[in-house]
Amino acid sequence: MAVTRTFSADEKDLTIAISGRFDFAAHQEFRDAYERVEHTPTRYTVDLKNATYLDSSALGMLLLLRDHAGGDHARIAIINSSSDVQKILAISNFNKLFDIS
Amino acid sequence: MNMSTEVAQGPLTVLIADDNMTDRMLLSSIVRRQGHSVITAGDGLEAVRVFAEQRPQLVLLDAMMPVMDGFAAAREIKRLAGEALVPIIFLTSLSEEQALVRCLEAGGDDFLAKPYNQVILAAKIKAMDRLRRLQATVLEQRDQIARHHGYLLNEQRVAKAVFDQVAHSGCLDSPNIRYLQSPYALFNGDLLLAAFTPAGDMHVLLGDFTGHGLPAAVGAMPLAEVFYGMTAKGYGLQETLREMNAKLKRILPVDMFCCATLLSLSFQRGIVEVWSGGMPEGYLLRGDSGERVPLVSRHLPLGVLSPARFEDRTDVWPLAVGDRVLLLTDGVIEATNADEELFGVERLLAALGERNAQGEVFDSVLSALSAFRGEYRDDFSMAELAMVQPDYLKPPALIYSDSGQSSPLDWSSSFEFRAETLKRFNPLPFLMHMLQEIHGLRPQSGALYSVLAELYSNALEHGVLGLDSELKRDARGFAQYYEQRNTRLTQLDEGYVRLHLHVRREGEGGRLVIRVEDSGRGFDARKALATPARERGLSGRGIHLIRQLSQNASWADDGRSAQVEFAWEQQG
Amino acid sequence: MMIEQVDTPHVDHAVLQGLQEVMGDEYPLLLDTFLSDSQARVAQLHEAQNAEHLSMAAHSFKGSSSNMGAVQLARLCSQLEERAKRWPIFELQELIRLIDVEFANVQALYGAERSRFAA
Repeated sequence: MAVTRTFSADEKDLTIAISGRFDFAAHQEFRDAYERVEHTPTRYTVDLKNATYLDSSALGMLLLLRDHAGGDHARIAIINSSSDVQKILAISNFNKLFDIS
Repeated sequence: MNMSTEVAQGPLTVLIADDNMTDRMLLSSIVRRQGHSVITAGDGLEAVRVFAEQRPQLVLLDAMMPVMDGFAAAREIKRLAGEALVPIIFLTSLSEEQALVRCLEAGGDDFLAKPYNQVILAAKIKAMDRLRRLQATVLEQRDQIARHHGYLLNEQRVAKAVFDQVAHSGCLDSPNIRYLQSPYALFNGDLLLAAFTPAGDMHVLLGDFTGHGLPAAVGAMPLAEVFYGMTAKGYGLQETLREMNAKLKRILPVDMFCCATLLSLSFQRGIVEVWSGGMPEGYLLRGDSGERVPLVSRHLPLGVLSPARFEDRTDVWPLAVGDRVLLLTDGVIEATNADEELFGVERLLAALGERNAQGEVFDSVLSALSAFRGEYRDDFSMAELAMVQPDYLKPPALIYSDSGQSSPLDWSSSFEFRAETLKRFNPLPFLMHMLQEIHGLRPQSGALYSVLAELYSNALEHGVLGLDSELKRDARGFAQYYEQRNTRLTQLDEGYVRLHLHVRREGEGGRLVIRVEDSGRGFDARKALATPARERGLSGRGIHLIRQLSQNASWADDGRSAQVEFAWEQQG
Repeated sequence: MMIEQVDTPHVDHAVLQGLQEVMGDEYPLLLDTFLSDSQARVAQLHEAQNAEHLSMAAHSFKGSSSNMGAVQLARLCSQLEERAKRWPIFELQELIRLIDVEFANVQALYGAERSRFAA
């Protein structure tokens, strides 16, 4: 399990990539990725290309990110989800809160 | 809980057992010089006795001793030491491999050759002491963990006892319900609640909180209280959902939520109303055709959205006697076997397809799971609800908490609910609350609520919203009907429903007259009354039900006004 | 029957030096203990009833001798310990006699060492 982050050139977009299992063990690193910043981004992207598994604590972490990013005004995209991950997100109807692809 | 308890370094008490006085004296001096205190023994038996009495931390043991040799003494000392590590260093000039093997087999941890090398001895004592302290730390932490685990289990026991008190007002033991739930499901975050409404409908909730242990259980209690409280008062599914969502949103941290499926089964109307957020598919199983209708999660789980954004849209399905609804938590689909395969949706659907007689769906899923896993486990929750005849179930009598002395017996009241109110307010619980003040009427609460609900829904849906009751003839029309209902209600900007209540004494008892008027176009009440109930099926305005449960039911003003009466003989 | 005679010193003085450092004030006591203890051990060698007792007695004497730096004595005891496991006792008498002789040397040398200190 690893969490990596990259900023866009103008530091307005933050992309956080998860590889391996996205579960409770990732909690602290995931939070650090979006909390420990010098400039607050306006857009967030969560890249799940290498994420093998997602559980309810991962869903909770996404909600925390959304809350941090402004709640109803947050702009968060979740990209590169595998079909398994998409299924989990679909059952929870998280597409109503996040831009999922 | 501070787990960094490490056993401290310090001078040791060392037992030196050697039958040679010279060697004993020399070794004692060497060891004392290294800062430790020394006790001695001259043979194996004495060594064991001295060890038992004084419990040194380290033992230097000559392999060849009279009376009891070093090997036997070592075995006995290790036995006396128990779980703790007491390092034994054999003093030996034995060079053969055999002898050294004997040392190890007897429980020796190291050797020191004669003539003694002080530097080597010091190094060995230090290394052995480190191991000793490590073992001691491990044991202490293990005991700490065991203690804390004991406290945790106790806390859970208490929490469960409190919860069981909250949950006692449910009707999970109703004959039309089959369910499986581990006694400690609460701590897996699983929640299964069922309760009757005053009209005799049944509300059911299957929930799955995020997290485990006490955090999951703690959210369940406020949720259960809202569910039971509102259901008992006659609130509908949507109002109850809104309150539950608002409560969880308010009290739970951002990353906690509750996936849930809620059902309202109406035996009188032969329908089931469903809301599902975040749960795996439930299934509606038709008794006659074997058709399987998936009940899909359309919503976000409870506790995620703010009250303003919460969506309470429900789906309504017709349900005939013999039809069932099956609900389950994701513990079923995610069950794994020894090869770490998942049970999965395909196996579940296969198990559902296998049932061939009444009541076997539940069992076929259970046996498919047990066969898959090779064992029976109950770390998931499952409930099967059957649609039965309206009078088959006997909901318990409502319990009233007042003294029964004061009762209003001569009054009238009128209400007009207009568009804005009709959109978002269900007046029935409020009206029932008022009417329950009339003690003589209480034995008929069930019928009273059913009739009021039927009259109100007719006035709203067929009257104000203009929905065609004939649509509910078949399943497709059914879905259309409820879709239209939602759309028209959202768009409603004019219209009204009026309610008039009139209560008066009559002999020893009294009489309640209810009149309901709506702003709709009316209908041909006489024609509807003439059609036998059987032919109409699900469609129609429940007119026969109203006539059955109340007195002097009549319609006027082209069907826009309905009037019913309830009478009672005694004041209660 | 070959008895190995090698030019081994009787006492390793470096060991004695080390012993004196370790024991400090108790060094004379250690020497006394060694001398009286050893006498008893020599008697044990003569009194041994069977091969096992003889081997064990030789083993023990070997230990203290080597600790005390009586190198030659220790070596002879080691030989006796080994042979006592395989040879009949009557064939070991010569070796035991050599140990007696060496012990006499040891007594003299360690006695002299002891007398360097006040009683």
